[in-house]
Amino acid sequence: MVDVKLILSLLADNVERTGYPVPIDPRRIYSWAEPLKLPRGGRTVLYTGALYQLVPYINSLVRHLESLERRKGGGLALRLAKTVGRIVDLGKIVAKADPSEVSTVEKVLTSIANLLSAAGVEYGYLYENDLYSGVLLYDMGLDEAFRRHAGKVAEALKRSGASLVITVDPHTTHVLRKVFPEYVERFEFEVKSYLEVLAEKGRRLPVKTPSEPGYDVVLHDPCFYARHEGVIEQPRRLLALAGLNVKDPAKSGRMTYCCGGPVEAISPSLSKRIAETRLDELRAVGGRIVTMCPICYANLRRAGGEVEDIALHLSRRLLGA
Amino acid sequence: MAGITLEGILQDVWRALDNPVLQEGLRRAYVGAERRVPEILDEYPEIVELARRVEDVKRLVSGNLDHYIEQAMESLKKVNAEPHLAETAEDAREIIGRIVGKGKVVVMSKSMVAAEIGLRPHLEKLGNEVWETDLGELLIQLEGSKPMHTIAPAIHLTREEAAKLVSEKLGVELSGRSIEEIVVAVRRYLRGRFMQADVGISGANALAADTGALVLVENEGNIRLVTGLPPIHIAVVGVDKIVPTLRDAINVALVQAAYASLYPPTYLNVIAGPSSTADIEKKRVYGAHGPPKLHVVLVDNGRRWASNNPALAEQLRCIRCGRCQMECPVWRLTANHWGGPVYGGPMGVNWTAITLGEETGAELAHLCLGCARCDEVCPVGIPISRVIRYLKKRYAEIHRL
Repeated sequence: MVDVKLILSLLADNVERTGYPVPIDPRRIYSWAEPLKLPRGGRTVLYTGALYQLVPYINSLVRHLESLERRKGGGLALRLAKTVGRIVDLGKIVAKADPSEVSTVEKVLTSIANLLSAAGVEYGYLYENDLYSGVLLYDMGLDEAFRRHAGKVAEALKRSGASLVITVDPHTTHVLRKVFPEYVERFEFEVKSYLEVLAEKGRRLPVKTPSEPGYDVVLHDPCFYARHEGVIEQPRRLLALAGLNVKDPAKSGRMTYCCGGPVEAISPSLSKRIAETRLDELRAVGGRIVTMCPICYANLRRAGGEVEDIALHLSRRLLGA
Repeated sequence: MAGITLEGILQDVWRALDNPVLQEGLRRAYVGAERRVPEILDEYPEIVELARRVEDVKRLVSGNLDHYIEQAMESLKKVNAEPHLAETAEDAREIIGRIVGKGKVVVMSKSMVAAEIGLRPHLEKLGNEVWETDLGELLIQLEGSKPMHTIAPAIHLTREEAAKLVSEKLGVELSGRSIEEIVVAVRRYLRGRFMQADVGISGANALAADTGALVLVENEGNIRLVTGLPPIHIAVVGVDKIVPTLRDAINVALVQAAYASLYPPTYLNVIAGPSSTADIEKKRVYGAHGPPKLHVVLVDNGRRWASNNPALAEQLRCIRCGRCQMECPVWRLTANHWGGPVYGGPMGVNWTAITLGEETGAELAHLCLGCARCDEVCPVGIPISRVIRYLKKRYAEIHRL
């Protein structure tokens, strides 16, 4: 029973003390935006909620957990506690984040920002106020820690002067749109995923004639976009606009199938097997596998999948970059 | 129940992942079910409509459970059945143990509530010979294991393994080549037990509060024999199975069968009281061809408590079709190795919390992905994954995290 308690307290403790579920230099959250010279704040703000940026660090932690999972002697978290013990040591493990993963997620975020700008969306960025959403605390049932953290996030958003918040991943979109209003008093922001914002712009998107011919893409719907947020048709419309041929796996839309990511810290091997099951199905369709969520991206990759984020496809096809 | 920890469950999960026979059995089952259920709903769209009605009446009952228990018990008395209300699993075992006695032959049709209260081992301990008569459940009995799916308990066994079990434990010669051969051998063997049986024990899909009628749906025909041949029939029924009317009860059975990918069901049994005849001088005499005695043991075991908990009360609408299990990414790899000692998968986590307490349920909850695929397919609109998230929250509260 000691197991899950340790994982959870480590998580809650990290968020409480550092603002993030795993130790990360806060500058790594917003440094990707500096070269873009995005304005600060404004009525419409881009809020990443740090999930994309955290993924390479979570990955290195999961790789570590994977190596420990089936070893003898105590539960997983007990072994974790023995090997990492303190937060400082946990920092050492996640500091081993793969630089190529870091550069990929930064490219995804840059592409999203460029797509929004190209679509004529006037928005600002939050920089050091782009705080982690706390979604993992909520998912793990750590409601009090989540409530405290959500309060800080809401304050930061209020300080920015925003009324419309543009999100970049399904988990952050869901937690901000549906969960925050239940936990934070007077949380009255309008929340939209960048895919919804871009799809609304539709024909006003500057479609550059892509230099290469279109290709088949197989879309993996993330659970939270498809089942909770009604973001199903928008990414398809955008990919079609980009001249790509969208193919759906047998389980798609509201009946999409989880990538296995959410149990990656509790049982890496179970999580990987679920990812393999999903990959088999995605591969059977034939085409380049496209994800819209950093967790799906990471977990399908961990299971050996050649997957790429939708923002990179859209950016290449629509912006030529 | 003490001793159910996430660590222990993970050990079971790893064993399940490493078991190629289980994985193949599961794959065959879910591939079939995920194709058939939408086909059935497509061909018989009225089922979806019935499911909405079942959802509504089940909501009504779980909000007024005490009232419906009382009404059901009154109605059972009116049709000369003998109702009993057991508050705990132990109470239920005792009541049934007293009715059965010792040295009897007991035949049982598959019942999750019977498994929940540990009925078979209890009756065996009292000195009775007890036989499961559902083929899958009998295989589980012979194997000494636990059901791996709500309606397909032996989903993890191949024909070869089933043949081996039957020939070893029942002493019948089998070639192991065909499933038909196993079915014939089991039928022959059990036919004798049915004829000898002193008591037949069944569950129920639903109990109608207005009439005291039990409704049971099946394909094997064993329920007809269990409830029809022995002189005493005992039905073990969770109080969550009560619905307002007989029509509602039949709807429950039809919806359950369809979402379990078995539609139309081969048999639908309605049992309102013991068998009787008034053919001579219009005088009613109990016990014609069916049993003269019918006991209905209503089992609470946490259900009334759960009905006052806004999250867990949602699960009380469950009709045990097992569709959430078939569609769950975790269950598809673990079967009922995840979910609890009796109930498994997404609904299992919540039923374990209802019947064994929130702490045990919370321990299991952390293997849920929260992907909400179960919520999407539940015929009676139970937000299963949200109930599981509530258990994760309770876990943090209980352990002050």
